[in-house]
Amino acid sequence: MDPVVEHNTTKIPLNHQKSPSPWVIARRKFLKNKIAMIALVFLVFITVISFLAPYITTEDPAKVNIAKLMKAPSADNWLGTDNGGRDIFTRLLYGGRVSLTIGFIATLNITIIGTLIGAVAGYFGGKVDAWLMRFTDFIMVFPFLIFVIVLNAIFPKSGISALIFVISVLGWGGVARLVRSKVLSEKENDYIAAAISIGTPASKVIYKHLLPNVISTVIVQATILLASMIVFETGISFLGFGVPQTIPSWGNMISPARNPNVIQFKPWIWMPPGIVLTLTILSVNFVGEGLKDAFNPKSNR
Amino acid sequence: MRQTKDDILLEINNLKMYYPIRAGFFQRKVGDVKAVDDISLQLKYGETLGLVGESGCGKSSAGKTILRLQNPTEGEIIFQGKDITKVKGNELRQIRREMQMVFQDPYASLNPKMMVGDIISEPIRNYTGQKSKDLKDEVMELLEKVGLTSDTYYKYPHEFSGGQRQRVGIARALALRPKLIIADEPVSALDVSVQSQVLNLLEDLQEEFNLTYLFIAHNLSVVKHVSDRIGVMYLGRIVELTDKNSLYEEPLHPYTQALLSAIPIPDPKKRKERIVLEGDVPSPANPPLGCAFHPRCKHALPECKEVRPLMKEVKPGHQVACHLY
Repeated sequence: MDPVVEHNTTKIPLNHQKSPSPWVIARRKFLKNKIAMIALVFLVFITVISFLAPYITTEDPAKVNIAKLMKAPSADNWLGTDNGGRDIFTRLLYGGRVSLTIGFIATLNITIIGTLIGAVAGYFGGKVDAWLMRFTDFIMVFPFLIFVIVLNAIFPKSGISALIFVISVLGWGGVARLVRSKVLSEKENDYIAAAISIGTPASKVIYKHLLPNVISTVIVQATILLASMIVFETGISFLGFGVPQTIPSWGNMISPARNPNVIQFKPWIWMPPGIVLTLTILSVNFVGEGLKDAFNPKSNR
Repeated sequence: MRQTKDDILLEINNLKMYYPIRAGFFQRKVGDVKAVDDISLQLKYGETLGLVGESGCGKSSAGKTILRLQNPTEGEIIFQGKDITKVKGNELRQIRREMQMVFQDPYASLNPKMMVGDIISEPIRNYTGQKSKDLKDEVMELLEKVGLTSDTYYKYPHEFSGGQRQRVGIARALALRPKLIIADEPVSALDVSVQSQVLNLLEDLQEEFNLTYLFIAHNLSVVKHVSDRIGVMYLGRIVELTDKNSLYEEPLHPYTQALLSAIPIPDPKKRKERIVLEGDVPSPANPPLGCAFHPRCKHALPECKEVRPLMKEVKPGHQVACHLY
């Protein structure tokens, strides 16, 4: 019935090269963005040296050394020592490990939970939407800070996992709302109706048709989230409620600055983590901005 | 014209599609937008039924409801002798294999993140799980059938013009070899020069694949070109339904007469009287009692304000819903 075989012979040779997909185009645009690339390289650099800390320095980041309390930078301790006599450079590396781990894992969790709930609520609408969004509202009005403080008091030995858990479970509300609103507007497009009418099951409509078209917003949102998660860790640790004091983190390293003597006369204690933190957040934001431009088909930067 | 039960592919009886209007904190239903208000029609195998009407008269809603993209409020949709008004889940999926839609806006109806080859092969993969080279050959053959080169397979929608995108949309609708294609204003978003190409393509494909079309449009000359029979819609109702020659030569419903008088004639010497309708289309949330057209009708009788006219066969094959006949 189908003369499939023959028609190949009469065809003019055609250019069968694959066209760049919208993802490839976005990646090319991103690679051309100088600021974003510098920021990305810096971010990768900070992440790598933080996680390779044991190979870079031999000092113990937690052991108190009373002989070297609050020493200024020297050949032995490049960035000086803190109020426990511990090497600041070493703690900066180990601290980055903790702060970045919290940032990355919490962001990942929040993004996954938020996207899932937002996509399902937006796509199915009606009762499903109403229930999921009321649940989201409920999660969003939870007193976040109190939860963190209480949980840390109950599980003092849990280290950073309690903090990650609380942030992940209570932090996804904003992402869910964002994804839902994007899905609501995207699903009105005819290609969704077309996908349904060609017999695509709902789960596949969501992950093959809807998500690829809302994911760029989610990725950009995730970078903003990553920055704010790192800042949140720092803030809450600075106040003494976050990461336990025994574990070095950038927030814990800045917390001695609560002492007026330290903040006035011992800048080497709080400035290094402060500067690294600022640069990291800036880089994350530049990367996010670069991604936003790359995903926007109308920008030619 | 012979007409037995076997000839009929699709039958719609008293179909209603109401969109609820919700208001207030608890989203209580306060009314309905009567997009499709009690329409009945029959489609024979191999014919093209045109559905015309101005924007917002419910022609697209009717199309989407027949495809069960929206659930009808009331009425029956009988496809190939089977009542599909209430079917769900897998059964509905199997029925959709037989009827497909070509959408109005070719820019919104193709997923921008998918390769054209994937867009067209998706329906086949959905039903057969088929992969591999056979599928690719099949898709490339389809591409050629709709007048695109086979290297289109590797491109993305943003690389095409409206007309080419619409061809991709037609290829997707054809992929499952359906019996019925609902074409929802398939050319109204295209340039005039491209419109005729796409219309001719649709006609050629109809012959080749034995397709039945429900052709929804607002352009009367387009509908005249493609249709065998034409239904005129006003405010969610069909007011006149007949074959195309008797509609254009002898329109019976005052609304149809007004519509036809608005078609420009490319002959400056020939002048005809234009019937200009007064007022606006009433809101479908609150349609007038009786005949929906009576507030704008010159010939309105007292009973038009009270009794809704039913479709009656005034001449063989010529149905009209009007108290004048």
